[in-house]
Amino acid sequence: MLRHTLKKRKYTKIIYNEWRWGYGMAAPTIIGLIILNIIPIFQTIYLSFFKSGDFGKGNIFVGFENYIKMFHDPQVWGATLNTILYTMIVVPVTLILAMIFAVLLNRKMRGKQIYRAIYFIPMAAAPAAITMVWKWLFNNNFGLINKLLSVFGLGAVDWINDPNVALISVAIIGIWSLVGYNMVLLLAGLQEIPKSYYEASSIDGAKPLRQFFFITLPLISPTLFFVIVTSVIQTMQVFDVIYMMVDVTSPAYDRVVSLVYLFYNNSFKYSNKGYGSAIVIFLLAIIMIITASQLKVQKKWVNYM
Amino acid sequence: MVKKSLVLMLAVVLSLAAFSGCGAAQNAEVAETQTQSQQVTEDVSTQSPETGEEVTLTYALWDSNQAVGLRKMADEFEAANPGIKIEIEVSTWSDYWTALEAAATGGDLPDVFWMHSNEIYRYASNGMLMDLTDMIANSDLVSMDNFPQGLVSIYNFEGKQYAVPKDYDTIGLWYNKTMFDEANLDYPDETWTWDDLYTAAKALTKADGSRYGFLAPLNNQEGYYNFVYQNGGTIITADKKSGYDDPKTIEAMEFYLSFVKDGLSPQEYGDAERATWLQNGLCAMGLFGSWNLSGFAANEYMAKNFDVTVLPSSNDGGRASIFNGLGNAIAYNCEHPEEAWKWVEYLGSKEGQLRQAELGIAISAYNGTAEDWVKSNTTFNIQCFIDMVDYAQIRPYSNTTAVWEDKAYEELKGAFTGDKTVEQACKDAAKVMNESLSQE
Repeated sequence: MLRHTLKKRKYTKIIYNEWRWGYGMAAPTIIGLIILNIIPIFQTIYLSFFKSGDFGKGNIFVGFENYIKMFHDPQVWGATLNTILYTMIVVPVTLILAMIFAVLLNRKMRGKQIYRAIYFIPMAAAPAAITMVWKWLFNNNFGLINKLLSVFGLGAVDWINDPNVALISVAIIGIWSLVGYNMVLLLAGLQEIPKSYYEASSIDGAKPLRQFFFITLPLISPTLFFVIVTSVIQTMQVFDVIYMMVDVTSPAYDRVVSLVYLFYNNSFKYSNKGYGSAIVIFLLAIIMIITASQLKVQKKWVNYM
Repeated sequence: MVKKSLVLMLAVVLSLAAFSGCGAAQNAEVAETQTQSQQVTEDVSTQSPETGEEVTLTYALWDSNQAVGLRKMADEFEAANPGIKIEIEVSTWSDYWTALEAAATGGDLPDVFWMHSNEIYRYASNGMLMDLTDMIANSDLVSMDNFPQGLVSIYNFEGKQYAVPKDYDTIGLWYNKTMFDEANLDYPDETWTWDDLYTAAKALTKADGSRYGFLAPLNNQEGYYNFVYQNGGTIITADKKSGYDDPKTIEAMEFYLSFVKDGLSPQEYGDAERATWLQNGLCAMGLFGSWNLSGFAANEYMAKNFDVTVLPSSNDGGRASIFNGLGNAIAYNCEHPEEAWKWVEYLGSKEGQLRQAELGIAISAYNGTAEDWVKSNTTFNIQCFIDMVDYAQIRPYSNTTAVWEDKAYEELKGAFTGDKTVEQACKDAAKVMNESLSQE
């Protein structure tokens, strides 16, 4: 009896200690998330019901007026379409490319580490700097890409200002910067797959392509799912590349402007923070719906070991 | 199972982080300015403010070309006024206003900073600027009578003066001498009319597209605004209505866009890209403001081949060049108003304005100092920028200039691409501009 209570008391003390340490260690992240992310979300929602005054003074409550105005604004719908189109181009292409590179770099080969580093570099470079370089590559008169096209006898393409092309140009930059990061994540997933599965299947006579579809793909699906979810969220929020490359004065503006870009212009350029907040809350709702449905559908295709 | 819940959690956290990202960016900006000004106050507090031993003033501006010369002036000012240090903070035009607004919202404005006609109303009407009226009245060095009336009134809000004029700028016609020589054409001068401009542009354009005669970009101040006012049109009327649907305005826009339509000008929509057409010998003529001077003089090709002259007049002799000027303002809550005023007073005094002109920083606003500015640069014939002041037109502005300028661009670009007629584009621009003006 005595022994039992003693044991119990010791047990709770350990648990208490663990809790204390656990929360202590996580505190910086928790506090950071609350101050930098959670509180601003509620402030943004709150602000979206106001007609904001200059310098945060004299906000007037307007109810749902910003939302009503937003749903009648063709530019918001255009931006929604652009954002979704951009995501639909960037995410699948990035995934396919990242998968190919990951499988190729998962073999025994010379200079494997160097290649992995090279593919990861775009992720480490500043997006603004990347875009400036791409902007000059795309330049109509002096750009390297158009110079190359002319070598092959092809006509120049107005990559930045042609409304039909600009979204693709922006997507190229997006894909280029995202592939490396996704590749590293997939590579980690690939290395978790036991080698014995491949050995066993090759004894049974399976060819590499069959191995890929029946062993690699099912076993990497949890990683793949994670990569898809995060990539979609990330690309839905595209801003810096478009902001740096396409100005309001560009004829392609209406065809590439994203929701976050529209939010930025309204909040900071036109100092209409209430309307900007409504736009960003709308984006939040879209991302929520997409993410929720992805979590639902995943049961059908993701295999957890 | 563990893995699954991990994925789920990460997804939720990431999506949350996503939404608040924008808010965080805004906070970060405020935080940045806060730390900046904290640094300043720390610097100050280590000294003893009571004895006034050392005060550091921050001076914010957006032109890195001018910052070099202004640093020189600040050094001289520091030498003459021991105990005051000037710290110059430079950013780009658009970042400047974003950061300044965040700083104003957080109550951490720089001590002294540049003001512009586009933004003065918002800052003055919300009490973000110090009222300088009394300081000017008590000053022996600064008097508003010494500045062009148009510039003074930009920074006057409800009878109070909120900034001291610093400089002004006008727009000139830059032309490639070498190309004119090759084509055996006379250089443009004050006798030129729109017809002369068009004829010369046509003669200088090469049919194979390797060279255009004139650059007519989608740009207001260094573009069609000049033509509109030359033609007797307007952008904004006295009773705050859009002038884009004025027949005279439309006529001027038709002329401006004829260069693009007839293939005498490329279609250019970018801001930074405009000058590259001239700098690479792809355009023979273009409109650029006086503030480009040091940049153009530093470009070897332009220094060798280019010169500048007054803008041509309309065919019936109407003259105009868009004119604007900056002012030095002090924050409403500046902790060292006396020292800040000393700096602003020096910048606006005859001595400071002469020094600014001599160093070629900008055309000083002080009456009679322009000659010194002209002497500061021998590469180009820059006297023309001064000559145009007589008939210069203040850059059109209202309380929310930045908003309707952008909205008008969005409508007007259809006329440049050819998607809309010029008249339609102008009427659309008038409509969005009036909508925006009605909400002021």
